[in-house]
Amino acid sequence: MRISSRTALLALPLASLASAALLLPACDRHAAGGHVVGFAQAGAESSWRVAETQSIRNEAAARGIDLKFSDAQGKQENQLAAIRNFISQGVEAIILAPIVETGWEDVLREAKDAGIPVILVDRGVAADPSLYTTLIASDFVAEGRMAAEWLREKTGGRAKIIELQGTPGAAPAIDRKKGFEEVINAEPGMEIIASQSGDFNIERGKEVMEALLTQYGGQLTAVYSHNDDMALGAIQALQAAGRKPGEEVLVVSIDGVRAAFEAMVAGTLNCTVECNPLLGPMAFDAVEKALAGETLPKKIVVEDKVFDQSVAAEVIGSRKY
Amino acid sequence: MNLAFRQRWLPTLVTAAVLLLLLAAAGALYPGFLRPLVFANILRNNAYLGILALGMTFVILSGGIDLSVGTLLAFSTILLARAIEAGLHPLPAAFAVAAVGTFFGAGQGLLIHSFRLPPFLVTLAGMFLAKGLAFAVSLQSLTISHPHFDAAASFRILVPGRAPLTTATWMFLVLLAAGILLARRTRFGRNVYALGGSEDTALLMGLPIARTRVTVYALSGLCAALAGLAMTLNTRSGNPAIGLGMELDAIACAVIGGTLLTGGVGSVFGTFLGVLIFGSIKTALDFHGGLDSSWLRIAMGILLLAFIVLQRALSRSGSPNPNS
Amino acid sequence: MMACRTSSAVARSWLWPLAGLLLLLAFNGIFAPGFFRLAFVEGRLVGNPVHIAVQSSKIILVAIGMTLVIATKGVDLSVGSVMAISGSTAAVLAAAGASFPSLFAASLAAGAAVGLTNGLLVAGLRIQPIVATLIFMVLGRGVAMLIAGGQPRPIQNETLLFLGSGHFWILPLPPLLALAALLATAAVVRFTPLGLFIAAAGSNETAARLAGLPAARIKALVYTFSGIAAACAGLIAAARVETADPSRLGELVELDAIFAVVVGGTALTGGRFSLAGSLAGALLIQTLTLTMINQGMPPEITPVPKALVIVAVCLLQSGEFRKRAAGLFRRPAAA
Repeated sequence: MRISSRTALLALPLASLASAALLLPACDRHAAGGHVVGFAQAGAESSWRVAETQSIRNEAAARGIDLKFSDAQGKQENQLAAIRNFISQGVEAIILAPIVETGWEDVLREAKDAGIPVILVDRGVAADPSLYTTLIASDFVAEGRMAAEWLREKTGGRAKIIELQGTPGAAPAIDRKKGFEEVINAEPGMEIIASQSGDFNIERGKEVMEALLTQYGGQLTAVYSHNDDMALGAIQALQAAGRKPGEEVLVVSIDGVRAAFEAMVAGTLNCTVECNPLLGPMAFDAVEKALAGETLPKKIVVEDKVFDQSVAAEVIGSRKY
Repeated sequence: MNLAFRQRWLPTLVTAAVLLLLLAAAGALYPGFLRPLVFANILRNNAYLGILALGMTFVILSGGIDLSVGTLLAFSTILLARAIEAGLHPLPAAFAVAAVGTFFGAGQGLLIHSFRLPPFLVTLAGMFLAKGLAFAVSLQSLTISHPHFDAAASFRILVPGRAPLTTATWMFLVLLAAGILLARRTRFGRNVYALGGSEDTALLMGLPIARTRVTVYALSGLCAALAGLAMTLNTRSGNPAIGLGMELDAIACAVIGGTLLTGGVGSVFGTFLGVLIFGSIKTALDFHGGLDSSWLRIAMGILLLAFIVLQRALSRSGSPNPNS
Repeated sequence: MMACRTSSAVARSWLWPLAGLLLLLAFNGIFAPGFFRLAFVEGRLVGNPVHIAVQSSKIILVAIGMTLVIATKGVDLSVGSVMAISGSTAAVLAAAGASFPSLFAASLAAGAAVGLTNGLLVAGLRIQPIVATLIFMVLGRGVAMLIAGGQPRPIQNETLLFLGSGHFWILPLPPLLALAALLATAAVVRFTPLGLFIAAAGSNETAARLAGLPAARIKALVYTFSGIAAACAGLIAAARVETADPSRLGELVELDAIFAVVVGGTALTGGRFSLAGSLAGALLIQTLTLTMINQGMPPEITPVPKALVIVAVCLLQSGEFRKRAAGLFRRPAAA
């Protein structure tokens, strides 16, 4: 019985903490009168993703919109549940950053039946286009193509490349590989000598590069990475092996996060293809137009730009993420 | 209350009380939470998890654990999608996938029993194997389109309050009822409890230990395949990358429901309540909507912890504790 | 008598992961020419064996704590999140200009705090370890993200960076530190009664309590230790890439560590453990990862060989399997 009273003593503060956690909205709610919009985010797995979340939350606050935020922690089932919960709460619009392309048909139909417009950001879905209002996204395949084209131009079409892939099965990994290969395969002087997954993170990027370097170090002339984090890890591995990334080994990556610009200024990264995560303003423009009854184009392409060392120093000051 | 009654029903009653408390708190905080629609959504959004947790309950009751169910679910969804894409009718495809899941589980059970291997490790290997197999079937997720499959996915019965009970929900509820009967009303169920309580005693009583243990893992594999089926009905697609960490959620649901990982103690209905608690917490956090990514994870952890501790406190104060 | 049998069983069981490791290395020696080639770059040793040692350091550190936790019949799923908390704490403090001793102490204290909480939940409230630590896996990840503000943080402290990528003579520091931690822990459990207490707390808690052993306190201690070990791993892993990424640091490390520990002969049923076995297990898993990269295996199917190795090592450790396999070979001879 002694233990049970101790348990009860511990349960009390915990229960109050729990109710505090549930009570938080009371003080977090914005001024009444603004729209209520739900945002079903995929997760918080990269600095790119966190920047996207920030952009959308900031823009909602600036416009006096009450944003319902859900973070699916990388699980599609959580994201599906979040959309249904947004619908049953009666939000006026939903912003969805889908984890994968498939599986949204039913839940989008439910939103449509409830008269709630859905704005997709950063990835398309394999569903009837009439089920969503618009898609605001970069073109991952084009990003891979742009990286390859930059490399082709820089090397005059001669390169032995190690590719660091993203997480197996992830849409950006599949598309960025596809776009890159399209260009490389048409170029007889360019060859991907090894392609392994660095799981989109810096630690794995470094480990994989260390392993590949002992094997392919002799012939390697370029590294293509599906995101900046892995490229930064690869650069460290190259330096530790006595190589000169940025000079004798060209390093190209995608995303354009701040650390990548810093690496370009330092001369170790050659080029990054920007994939703009600051979609907040565009997303809420679309939300407000949809709520005003205007029709929107089915796809709003976010223009991605290539940044290399020649411009890194002058743009770095203006980078927000 | 007599002792047997307490031991058997008290944990379930306490879990039910905790669930009611949670629902009451969420209802008071968020207008519109306590509606049939929200409840129906909790059921359908967690149908796959419920089915996984159902199989997991039997495994845990037998004194084992099954870490392979999350990736086995993913493997099932992508296998089904691939089979239908290849022209197979959804019904035989579903039976084939269920058979694959059952054999997968039975294989693990055989390894565990015949060679006295630790279930944790064998099913960890199963987790990796199913993950690799899922990606071998297809690296990308596949949309399923077949008129009969679409019909099954679109089927729903609206209960008052325009709350839809979908095919996946029905699968969950029917399997739940079957699971309760299997655990309490059959010889197999009694053998599972006996095996988890004490293997030596079960052996002395002459119970078919080998058959029971292999069947338990086969059942868990079957449940993983059926949960995969429920998932494909929900998403009309197969996805090899789904199911990450789902085995841990399923274990958590069973444990919240009062099942002890040491085996022999717990109930299928308790697991159902555990799934509802888990789903309600997630739904309440969606209704809240004002937390950022870091606070969402912290709040999820604190809420889970609070309700588990509360449940421990309640069941302690109500039952005679042999240790104190 | 009993103790004798137990220790010989352990001695035998940690030989198997070692055998697996040697087998894998032999495979590489034959099929991957140049696998063992070592070279000097700027006076430091580089090459695959060095990479394996460096890359497995964090798993070894985590596995030290995990070994003792599993020996008490528990498990600690929160280690990855603890790594992230410790790395983020160090990065944020370093950016604020804190000295190495203070940020080191703060990071380890953060790890110890999570570990102690785990321990209190398991030992005091009797919440099942897998669930208590699962909660801290989710919650701790949130705390790490909160500390770092969601974004990866550069590590701006020379001493800490040196721990991650510095060298002692020609040898990289991380594996040396991991080895030192392992030896120190092994010495403590070998030469003090603590090792016996831990094994007793795992094998039969009621008996241990009746014999006057403070089983609950030992458990709390063991989880706290696991938190500290994971915090060390977090510091080294973050320092090695000069960045603490709160959402990715230590992700899934719990699976690698559990694999290393259990393959190394520590029983999940508690009561016996082998730190040397965990070391062999950690090296085995990292060698396997490197071998798969080296063989150019498509990344999506790399889980399959991992599964096969687990089953193979399990089978080798199983007395039942060895008996039957031996019988299989003997039968034709008898006939």
